[in-house]
Amino acid sequence: MRGRVLAALVAAACVFPFAVLALLSVAELWAFPDPLPPSWRPERWLSVGGGLFARSVALSLAVSTAVATLSTAAGYVTGKYVAGHRRGRALLFLAYVPFAMSPVVLGVCLLFLYLKLGLVGTAVGVVLAQTIFAYGFAIVLFSAFWTPELRALEDLVRTLGGGTWAVYRDALLPASRGALALCFFQTFLLSWFQYGLTVLVGAGRVQTLPVRVFAFVNEADPYLAALASCLLVGPPLVLVWVNKRFLFAPDSEDPAPVAHL
Amino acid sequence: MFLSVSDLTKAYGDERVLDGVTFGVAAEETLAVLGRSGCGKTTLMKAIAGLVPPDGGSVALGGERLDGLPPEKRGVVYLYQEPLLFPHLDVRGNVGFGLRLRGVPAAERAERVERMLDDLELGGQDQKRPGQLSGGQRQRVAFGRALIVQPRLLLLDEPFGNLDAGTRAAMQTLFRRVARQYRITALLVTHDLKEALVLGDRVALMDAGRLHVYDSPEAFAADPESGVADEVAFWSHLGNPPLDP
Repeated sequence: MRGRVLAALVAAACVFPFAVLALLSVAELWAFPDPLPPSWRPERWLSVGGGLFARSVALSLAVSTAVATLSTAAGYVTGKYVAGHRRGRALLFLAYVPFAMSPVVLGVCLLFLYLKLGLVGTAVGVVLAQTIFAYGFAIVLFSAFWTPELRALEDLVRTLGGGTWAVYRDALLPASRGALALCFFQTFLLSWFQYGLTVLVGAGRVQTLPVRVFAFVNEADPYLAALASCLLVGPPLVLVWVNKRFLFAPDSEDPAPVAHL
Repeated sequence: MFLSVSDLTKAYGDERVLDGVTFGVAAEETLAVLGRSGCGKTTLMKAIAGLVPPDGGSVALGGERLDGLPPEKRGVVYLYQEPLLFPHLDVRGNVGFGLRLRGVPAAERAERVERMLDDLELGGQDQKRPGQLSGGQRQRVAFGRALIVQPRLLLLDEPFGNLDAGTRAAMQTLFRRVARQYRITALLVTHDLKEALVLGDRVALMDAGRLHVYDSPEAFAADPESGVADEVAFWSHLGNPPLDP
């Protein structure tokens, strides 16, 4: 019984901030000490379908998907190279540098080059800047993934008659499915919640959702800020559910579906 | 000789791992190679498979020079100590993997896989995943996956090293049977003296990058370096303590 009560308390503590956000986003006014909003304005959510919110959601999805795809693909290949290199530890240390430094410091370092290249204030510039940051993370993640067993698997496929393309298509990529999904998920989140780097490189013209949330907070509009925050946590929750449901199911010994010829 | 290795050399920095290795293996023969850890056995196998480029020397198979050929074009399959089954494929998919790489039509593939599963006493296991198999079954699937592509040469790197004594003995019997049935030419690396004598038509000893092939089991047993004399002495003195450490 005590265990159940404790579990309910922990669950309530986890859900509470999201519940407050959801309530705030549909409240007309909500002031202390009212336990619930006295009046409601759910039609605020109708503004999501068009205008600023829709553009920010679409832009954030596009930027984060591009960053996650680029950094996961590049990190997969680079991680393999680093793991097999005789100076792998030194290379891994270099990979930590953009990851370990603050994203804003990274943005300041990149700013001069980006100004010369005309990338400041563009979505492409934001994608590239965020990718540098996420790429370091992906290398660190994948360098631990490329074990001697996986390299032996690669050699085995080659002796069985597979060329480089077959090695990846038929053995390495299916065996890496979980790690690839994990890296994509993590780098997507790194990009999705990125604020400082986006503001710096985007120069206020690239209005992703986190930038929009902070703008509403600065304008002292907690209701629109809450609505934008609800949108901000939506896609990560969907990704968590996809991961749990399809990739890391606890009762599955092997996350990949079984296949035969 | 069907497999002919001449003056093979390989060094990592100052360490000479293969020091002019020269030997041959006749068609349908199994040569068992014994040696301590780090003596160069695995490097020798990988050099023959094309997975490690040698510094010098040459490898020929059936009269054809393999030097410079990529691993996938050599017709040499390398089996590791670990079965290394593909986790995303079931038993049927694992065994038929090499045939699929070669573009063998699905109907023929299914028929050949079925036959191989029967030969390896894996009937009824075809839908299972690697995680649902015992160690011996996994090793059989790995054998089937290698044999089904009819390799010109099979390289076995301590294939039974991780199995318990009973399963190991059963796998040794199975290997002898399928090696005859499929007329396999094989190079087998092992730490186990008895396994080398049971499975090898001839036995070789590798030490410090050099390989000594014995003409007969008697010649091997007579060499003090082989360790056979120590083994015989141990078993002869069993029950008559005290034993020398």
